[in-house]
Amino acid sequence: MAIDLKAVEQLATDQSSLKAAAGLAKPAKWSGVGGSRDGALIWGECAGSGANPYRVMADLRDLGNKCTCPSRKFPCKHVLGLLWLNAEAIVPFTPADTPAWVSDWLGRRRGTSAAKPAINAPPDGEKDLRAARAVEPDVVEDPKDVARREAQAARRNEETERAILDALDALEQWIGDQLRMGLSGFIDDATARCRRIAARLVDGKAAVLAGRIDELPSRLLALPAGDRPRGAVVELGKLVLLARAFRATPRNTEIRRAVAASETREAVLADPAALRVDADWEVLAEQVQTRRDGLVSQTTWLLNLAATGPRFAMLLDFFPASAGRRGSVFTPGESFHGELVFYPSTQPLRAMLVRRDAAQDRPPLEWPAPDETLSDALTRPLLAEPWAIDVPLLLPQGRIARDAAGHTWWRSADGITTLPVAADISGILCGTDLTRTAAIWSGNRLAILAAQTPWGRIGGHD
Amino acid sequence: MTDAIKAEAIFDAMGAVLTRWTMGSAAAPAASLWRAELGDDPAEAELRLLALSGQFLGAAVVMEPAAALRVLPGIPALALPTVQEALRPLVRRILAAKKQAQVGTELVHFLAERGCTTHPADWMPAADDDDAPDIYAPWRDWAAIAGSESATRQQANDHLTADNWEDFWPAARKAALAELRRRDPSEARKVLESRLGSENADTRLRLLSLLSERLSDDDITFLEGIATDDRAPKVKALAASLLARLGRGPAAGEDTAELAGFFSVKTKGLLRRSRVVQAEPLKTPAQVQRRKALFDGADLASLCGTLGLAPQELIAAWEWNLDHAADMALINLIVATGTDAHVAQAADAINEHDATGLVVTLAPRLTSADRARHAEAAMNAHNIRFEQAQLIAGPAAQLDNPLSTPAGKTLLAALQREDAKPSDQVAELHALGLLASREGARQSLQRLTAAGLLQGDPRLDMLRLNAALDDKGAKP
Repeated sequence: MAIDLKAVEQLATDQSSLKAAAGLAKPAKWSGVGGSRDGALIWGECAGSGANPYRVMADLRDLGNKCTCPSRKFPCKHVLGLLWLNAEAIVPFTPADTPAWVSDWLGRRRGTSAAKPAINAPPDGEKDLRAARAVEPDVVEDPKDVARREAQAARRNEETERAILDALDALEQWIGDQLRMGLSGFIDDATARCRRIAARLVDGKAAVLAGRIDELPSRLLALPAGDRPRGAVVELGKLVLLARAFRATPRNTEIRRAVAASETREAVLADPAALRVDADWEVLAEQVQTRRDGLVSQTTWLLNLAATGPRFAMLLDFFPASAGRRGSVFTPGESFHGELVFYPSTQPLRAMLVRRDAAQDRPPLEWPAPDETLSDALTRPLLAEPWAIDVPLLLPQGRIARDAAGHTWWRSADGITTLPVAADISGILCGTDLTRTAAIWSGNRLAILAAQTPWGRIGGHD
Repeated sequence: MTDAIKAEAIFDAMGAVLTRWTMGSAAAPAASLWRAELGDDPAEAELRLLALSGQFLGAAVVMEPAAALRVLPGIPALALPTVQEALRPLVRRILAAKKQAQVGTELVHFLAERGCTTHPADWMPAADDDDAPDIYAPWRDWAAIAGSESATRQQANDHLTADNWEDFWPAARKAALAELRRRDPSEARKVLESRLGSENADTRLRLLSLLSERLSDDDITFLEGIATDDRAPKVKALAASLLARLGRGPAAGEDTAELAGFFSVKTKGLLRRSRVVQAEPLKTPAQVQRRKALFDGADLASLCGTLGLAPQELIAAWEWNLDHAADMALINLIVATGTDAHVAQAADAINEHDATGLVVTLAPRLTSADRARHAEAAMNAHNIRFEQAQLIAGPAAQLDNPLSTPAGKTLLAALQREDAKPSDQVAELHALGLLASREGARQSLQRLTAAGLLQGDPRLDMLRLNAALDDKGAKP
């Protein structure tokens, strides 16, 4: 089954989609490109602006298509790009078994007629493939303009910094007020009080910190009632530490990332100091959470299967909840070889996918042994980054146990360490040895992402 | 001052600090050990103390369990291997796509017939899941142990006796009893005789029903005791129905005579005169109700006796498809109180007379081979769909060429219609996947993809699983 570029042109909603698709119709942007043996389906993964790639698929019989990006355009530029790759045979579409995510999409499709090009589409003249392909010449800039722009940027930067410092003053004032009025009152009324100071922080350009404070009540309420005063002290104490750290080094990108905003994808990719790790990675879990500020956060946790290097990587993306439910990007349990670039940090964790190699048929790789003792793993990250909330851990051999009240605990095989588990666990995870466990230590509770057992790999939600 | 002592001292101070903050009073005065670090400004001191305490409480204080912890025993390995790793995603998808418990039950029975089980991370039976195949008994008992306070039973071996009855968890015990009954029927009965009385009514019902396997005259005395003495009406009724299968139904009484009155025995044909049994037309709803109630308390042998026929004669002479309610009532009566021979005869008669819907009711008492045979016959003769055929055939149909049946032709035609949607025929394709043998599934996949379905189409999941599964089960 073959399509021609004319079909791509007709399918595009406008010229700018076509232009963007032309930019994506390059082999370097894509990985995992394949097609079904009957030639009807094609799929691929496209690097977008986020940390996670987008999964793109299309049915060549009727040009029905789907992409996991949050764009409201239908079809989006990624779908057009994939069709473009196919129409011009820019990359080989290796015949393969249909991946599960493509089959899932097929099962959800309502009809085959939905995606046919609109009959009363605007005349073709408005969309032009050649124009889309044309490379715009680089405009030579006047050095004076460049200097002026740089000066403007520096001034804006200073203004932002001033605004953040003011907002942090307000935050410390607010924290002092909470202590004076009593933490029991704070715990009861946390949602409303946090909302107010978060709004103030948004005005003060401390958007990341605002999002963190907005989510503070839900983290607090997840704790047992008796543990909430301690939890509140820990949470508020971390805010003080972060505010002080920012005052000490307002230009530090790592601290700025925790307070104001992250660098763009381009900035991280262009940063020669950013750590790049080429290794085998296993997808541990994907967490999708709707936040109070209307954003959905999508976190993919990866385990580095190599002997050394950062043990974990976290791919974090945000998109508006109004963009609708988004498909998963990775399948927990799958492993791949690829290159990740880490946001510069004393403890590299947040990362972006740079390159993902084609999947190979091979037996699953073993998980490495923990790199450090458990007590070090629990506390070391807090020395470097005392405001961190989530600490990923690779636990040694252990087992799930229960106390008389029905609470769940993880206990190491040597019996020395016992850690409380956040969620109730049932089924297979309670009934077997956990030779290795990947978990997040957060709020002094463990959230199990996945474990290796005599029964094989078990996901935390299986 | 060493670090260890200092940590102890901080820990001691934290109690007072937390209490003061919870109440809303200044806590710095309670943390004298950090006086130098906190400084003199009271507001600043509170924030500094908050940062220090937060770090200490977050890093150094980890909850400890209040009481002794209980670790559950390991999930036991079953007698069959788990499904191959590569097929687990397919199993998970089939289980997830159809949330109904029925689909899960069908799938696990199908897998057991093919000689494998689910992976415990994909599916595990609940403790009370009596529909799960016996192979899963250890997992059901594991779930029971997980749900109970402690595990006290110590099962030493698989051989059930009256003496080690208490050492078995319920699901394993039932599986062991069923196995014993197949091997040594009278030994199984003796074990039940000594132990049944101490179980609750639901368990008694389930255990007693195991006697339908290899039922014989040796069981009569035991069953008569249950039928008269048991405390639960449903257990008594089951014992009575088992007795009736042995020809020991209650003596025909007034009710049986009244029921017989709803039917007439006539002769027809001039040369080869044969008898027919017909239901008299019912005139009022009250009569409908009355006949139904009388059937519920009746047994096949007494009814036949009152009509002056042997059971075989009644089944042969019955006029099917005249009164569907009467047909269904008779079939239910045969299932409850007929012998295996009567059940088989009734199934044949139904097939002959195009009353296929009734075979589903008989199916639980037919052998797998008979079920598959009847399903195939019904599909070829009466145009029933795969879904119905699957209900008749159960998990071991193993049809080699299902798409050549009328149901297969209808399905192919429906899938190739102009207005066919990707969500059409989901249940039919799933049933086809359960009915086919491995070879049949492979051929069906080829024919369906040739007819335009995509290889990755999720409606083909069951067929793909079937085609990929090793065929360790025997064809019935």
